[in-house]
Amino acid sequence: MAAHEILAATNAVVTLDVALPGIVWPWFVTMNMWAKSIGTGVIFMLFVLMRMHPESVKNLRLPTAISAFVFINIFLLFTLADLHQPFRMWHIFFYPHLTSAITIGSFMASAFLGLLTLLVFLAWKKQDETYDKVFLWVTILAIPVTLYTAALLAQCTARELWQMPAESAQMILAATLSGSAFMILLGGNKLTYEAKQTLGVVLGLSALMAFIIYMSEYVFGPMKAEEIAATLEYIKGDGPYTVMFWLAQWMTFIIPMGLILLSRSSKSEAILKLAAILALVGLFMVKHVWLIIPQLLPMS
Amino acid sequence: MQLGFLVDLHLCMGCKGCEIACKVENEVPLSTWRLRVKYVDVGTFPETKRTFTPLRCNHCENAPCERICPVSALHYLDNGIVNIDKERCIGCAGCVMACPYGAIYIDPQTQTADKCTYCAHRIASSMMPACVVACPVEANIFGDLDDASSNISKYIQVNQSNVQVRKPEKGTNPHHYYVGGGNVTLNPLASHRVDGYSLFNKITPLPVGGHH
Repeated sequence: MAAHEILAATNAVVTLDVALPGIVWPWFVTMNMWAKSIGTGVIFMLFVLMRMHPESVKNLRLPTAISAFVFINIFLLFTLADLHQPFRMWHIFFYPHLTSAITIGSFMASAFLGLLTLLVFLAWKKQDETYDKVFLWVTILAIPVTLYTAALLAQCTARELWQMPAESAQMILAATLSGSAFMILLGGNKLTYEAKQTLGVVLGLSALMAFIIYMSEYVFGPMKAEEIAATLEYIKGDGPYTVMFWLAQWMTFIIPMGLILLSRSSKSEAILKLAAILALVGLFMVKHVWLIIPQLLPMS
Repeated sequence: MQLGFLVDLHLCMGCKGCEIACKVENEVPLSTWRLRVKYVDVGTFPETKRTFTPLRCNHCENAPCERICPVSALHYLDNGIVNIDKERCIGCAGCVMACPYGAIYIDPQTQTADKCTYCAHRIASSMMPACVVACPVEANIFGDLDDASSNISKYIQVNQSNVQVRKPEKGTNPHHYYVGGGNVTLNPLASHRVDGYSLFNKITPLPVGGHH
């Protein structure tokens, strides 16, 4: 299917224009999304483990809180580094514009980081009961924290590829995928085999659902809008991001799904860990391709 | 009051006077433009012609840049202009990503977002925007869209079957109109854009905001 038709009758060629701006949001923003997915994802997974395998989480409260704290700080650091005027960051809090997903996200991420700091302190002091009470609110807050980037992408009216319902689903699935993968690696001997299998199921199902959404957009997106069709040309045929797109899809979704099935049949934890590593590395590429390709399209 | 712009593409001859006037008036740095004229060649030799399309901020009624700006650096003035406060901008580039018209850039000197403001500072002094003054054929028509007797309103009334905006499907309700436009001039996907191929300069992507 042709992305867009340039009529032979018009044979129109842009012969003079200004230099086009390069990539506006670079890999810093990819890092932002990737680190946030892990930071919120491990919280979701600890919540699941607390309810399904409470015996497993006894020694995981502190490592999980520290991991989330570290990754949320990475997310915030790269967000700050991406600003052209990073020393004006405080403007968001003193001149907030509440229609912007960036503003709301900044407020929520700051509150989230504050609660994570409290969790680290409580876990360090071994106050498990208080930890668990605070943890419920941290888990609830983690949902909008991981979703707000989808709202931000949806507010980018110029980038037709980023549609809100799909992006919000992808953000949550990225969190459950990366959270379960990271938790499999973090758990080590602290997790029972059953708990790891549960995480494997979450990882596999997240990969399956995210893959279905990407493929749906890949196949059906061009039927909806000319701009989506033109954008997806960058990952089709000999497009500049075709290789990275498919490599990422295989690494993040397809191979891990297969490995999880294999690990269940062979009861191999090593295979499960391999699936987790591939998913974590691949997710960065998946996010990066999806971030970059709409920025390649000429706007005027 | 709702200020708006209309460009009669029948009249525009691509002299780029508006582009230069804008550059001078607003001290727009090298490699960036608030207003530019795009040339699109149409047809096959010998049946060819060149079209000229001045492109600037559309000052949308439902501006995505205003909505996404986290610090209200982009804001509406009472006269409908979408203005920018460069002192408040944090340079997140959300507006650059949101604008469907590619009208916003990161100023490499100030490292903040910038765009056409319809020369809001001149309007405040009851002067016309610099590009309007510079146009030798009066292709740029500027005025109050709420006033039925203004030049722009009369122009729209006379040419109402031929008045278009860019990307109406985006729902931004631009206050920038074109008369005599077509798919080739107003739709960026309707023409070939060959990297490195240009009449006078080489079209290559530039780093956003210079070396950030």
